[in-house]
Amino acid sequence: MRKRRTVAIVAVAAALTLTAGCGRDAGSGQEQAKAVDAGKATGDITVWAMGTEGEKLAAFAKDFTAENPDAKVNVTAVPWDAAHQKIASAIAAKQTPDVSMIGTTWQGEFAKTGALDPTPPDLIDSAAFFPGAWATTQVNGTSFGVPWYVETRALYYRTDIAAKAGVTSPPKTWEELTAMTKAMQAKGGAKWGIYLQPGKTGSWQTVLPFAWSNGASIADDKGYTFDSPQMTEALQYYQSFFTQKVSPTDLPNGQLEPDFGKGAIGAFISGPWEAGLVDEQGAKGKYAVAPLPTKQSSTSFIGGSNVAVFKDAKNRDGAWKFIQWLSKPDVQVKWYQTVTDLPAVQSAWQDPALTSDPILTTFGEQLKTAKAPPSFPTWEQVAASLDTEVEKVVNGKETPAAAVKTVQSQAQSIGTGA
Amino acid sequence: MATVAVRAPAKSAAGTPPRTRRRKWTGWAFAAPFVLLFLVFSALPVLASLVMSVTDLRSTDLRHPLAVNFTGLDNYIRLFSDELFLRSALNTVVFVVVGVPLTMVIALAAANGLNSGLIRFRALFRVGFYLPVVTSIVAVAVVWRFLLDPEVGLVDNLLRLIGVDGPNWLADTSTAMPSLIVMTAWRNFGTMMVIFLAALQSIPADLYEAATLDGAGRWQQFRNVTLPLLRPTLLFGAVYTGIGYLQVFEEPFVMTQGGPLSSTLSVSYHIYNQFGFGNYGYASAASYVLFVAIVALSVLQFRLLRERD
Amino acid sequence: MVTTALPERRRDRTAKIILYAILILGLLVVVGPFIWMALSSFKPEAEIRAAPPTWWPHTWTLTNYRDLFSRLDFPRYFTNSVIVAALVTAGNLMFCSLLGYALAKLDFPGRKALFRTVLAMLMVPGMVLFVPQFVLVSNLGLANSYAGLVLPFLAGPFGVFLMRQFLLSVPDDLLEAARVDGAGEWRIFWRIVLPLCRPALATLGILTFLSSWNNFLWPLVVATTADKYTLPVALALFSVGQNRTDYGLLLAGAVVVVLPVLIVFLLLQRHFMRGIATTGLK
Repeated sequence: MRKRRTVAIVAVAAALTLTAGCGRDAGSGQEQAKAVDAGKATGDITVWAMGTEGEKLAAFAKDFTAENPDAKVNVTAVPWDAAHQKIASAIAAKQTPDVSMIGTTWQGEFAKTGALDPTPPDLIDSAAFFPGAWATTQVNGTSFGVPWYVETRALYYRTDIAAKAGVTSPPKTWEELTAMTKAMQAKGGAKWGIYLQPGKTGSWQTVLPFAWSNGASIADDKGYTFDSPQMTEALQYYQSFFTQKVSPTDLPNGQLEPDFGKGAIGAFISGPWEAGLVDEQGAKGKYAVAPLPTKQSSTSFIGGSNVAVFKDAKNRDGAWKFIQWLSKPDVQVKWYQTVTDLPAVQSAWQDPALTSDPILTTFGEQLKTAKAPPSFPTWEQVAASLDTEVEKVVNGKETPAAAVKTVQSQAQSIGTGA
Repeated sequence: MATVAVRAPAKSAAGTPPRTRRRKWTGWAFAAPFVLLFLVFSALPVLASLVMSVTDLRSTDLRHPLAVNFTGLDNYIRLFSDELFLRSALNTVVFVVVGVPLTMVIALAAANGLNSGLIRFRALFRVGFYLPVVTSIVAVAVVWRFLLDPEVGLVDNLLRLIGVDGPNWLADTSTAMPSLIVMTAWRNFGTMMVIFLAALQSIPADLYEAATLDGAGRWQQFRNVTLPLLRPTLLFGAVYTGIGYLQVFEEPFVMTQGGPLSSTLSVSYHIYNQFGFGNYGYASAASYVLFVAIVALSVLQFRLLRERD
Repeated sequence: MVTTALPERRRDRTAKIILYAILILGLLVVVGPFIWMALSSFKPEAEIRAAPPTWWPHTWTLTNYRDLFSRLDFPRYFTNSVIVAALVTAGNLMFCSLLGYALAKLDFPGRKALFRTVLAMLMVPGMVLFVPQFVLVSNLGLANSYAGLVLPFLAGPFGVFLMRQFLLSVPDDLLEAARVDGAGEWRIFWRIVLPLCRPALATLGILTFLSSWNNFLWPLVVATTADKYTLPVALALFSVGQNRTDYGLLLAGAVVVVLPVLIVFLLLQRHFMRGIATTGLK
């Protein structure tokens, strides 16, 4: 009997606690950034960094400690695989470090948790960065991080196959792109004129540049705005490559680089890391990288990584000073030389290390106008919905107009999460 | 199964006899360490996640998890109008109905073959058949993708030899799921084989000797000696494989990313995506719907393969 | 085992040949990817990514392994993995066989309910517990500790289920005889029952070790500094990038990770021997 009563009391208490705490706040409005003390950094600064950045940052940060001898930078390397889960869990359990790398598409979601510290405006000059990159740090007008390195997408194409097909200069318009890729198949000896990702995870990063280049805008302050004639037209153009059998719908995973090296694929759209990969597969010296063809503009996708400070940071001042140091143009150049991450700071691109490589120059130009998706917390889910519809369109199972309407209605029901 | 039933002494007015009482407490004493850890690290999180599933908790609420709205069964109801969830449910059911028997049969056949006493180098075969279980899914994916490649793959080339034009296995919505089922059975039968082998080893050899002396052939011995004694283990195998396959995730994740056109999207994969999007309340609800399905399947299997007491 | 007295019949020989043929074919099919994995860890990145894939390396290289061992503090991560896997395995073997025996052979109130609850736990999809478990472990002050890495896995419902099913077939007369002789329950368990279920314990040991050894997500999240990482986490550090995967490192890592599991498997499988037959039940 006693046991049953205890259970009942515990249950009621639990229920009361839960309901008492339930219900959301209306929202506290915009957060104000707090200033950071002047002077050198002191104390331990804990930093989480993923991938090779995590590997190289500890040694790289010695320059920082040379300038700030009372400070110590402790870098913990974190795998990219499941890094999002690790940061989310750390936020939930209040086990966050002082500083962490944050993927550009995660920024909105983590900012909304309230775990990130707003960027002190006097410490970091937003105009120094590529506008698209800075936009990824902003949520409701407040910046919650600082771009560290960037990447963007451009057009890789086989110059020898193009020459064989009678094309001697890179395609500058959408019509020229269609013409070149078709000619590559007809006369250049390529099996496929171009590889465009046929839907599935991440295809939005190839599709949206076409939409943006056609003047489409997928979101405004209040929500998503996919349903527009420019978006439909861009999707129709994207689909045309598949219906005209210029681009494959079912290329096996991992086949892109070997096929480009063999000349079976004439062109593709991707980022700077592909250069090394296709070089390894025999394409070295046989290809060039050109800016994305223009419709109303040539607007690509900007990605990369930001760095942010956590609200629960034990050493907030030290953390921001470290980030400020990372954003100095000469440090950005030195970082590029260490891990070949493209600098997010525009003036760093004047350095001969970056101006000497024609492929890099193309990416640098593309970065100036590249856009990022809106920093709504629900972006990943809406993007997945877009990927699903693109797959249907590309396989002829849905018209672009219907797809655009579906994406818009799903985006509206998902909401912005803001 | 022959067990000598020990009747518990009748409870007298004076209370239970010392030996039974001791056994009663021993039972709980033996259970104590497990139960304690279980309550803290399993039961509590289950309660927390159940509560999560009746709220609209998102990852953006993780710092203030109590400041969310109680939504009742809203998440659960929404699931059944979620096209992707329903599709994934159908895919998963097909996967389990075909995959579990397939895996069990292969595992039992392999275990029986290795145990038959006809084979030497048993250790070699045992380790070999278990290897797919411990091979990195990345390596498995590369080799299987190659095997199933329509142009250079072994399967389609063999089919071409006999004049059949094989499909693009992983890119065709009607063949992607069957291909994954075969691959998963191939990958997982090793675990069951090891368990069945251990069980087969526990069957006394004299039973087989007696049966042989009675004139029973190999197949009859299998049916009348092996299978009945294997019942508890078969039940275990069916339940465990069923639980595992209802939650299939890695294979579609690495091989087909749920495609083509969501034809290989499993419920677990859908849940993983929802957790990834930060929809913690919704994903928890989906997890508990999956849980109900798992319980239902297991109850069914218990009923079919129940040990005869 | 094969009976020695009866002569080998012709039917047996054909059965043997067919059986060998099937098993060898099956063996080739199952070890294929494993062999590809091992061979490819010695190939340069470009060759690993070649399509169609190559089997025997055109170029042999030790770069992948050299990179792996020089970039990672291998001894530390290996030790962490060994400690965690060993503790989890030992704990499971102990606690699960205790409870499994109690559920199979001891009658106590609430036995059925307890079994059903544990079984139900086996059926809960793990993903849903992840965040609550981590928040709990952190609030207990166990984040970034071996305790945090080990404790949540010690009470494994799989082990209980497996042991119970095996132990159901231990003959009751054996236990009764011991009780009549005056042996206490603990003594019966330790001296008589456990030795009988060597195959089951070996199986549970292998499977628990394997799952703990390969566990990736939990150690990744629980360890807030790299010194508590286990091997799978460390191996993922540099092999999966934001936009590209370093397959050479990944495969070399996969080979390194699988070796201890195979060793444990080979060591434990000596214990797959007939148990009950030798106890003179007749």
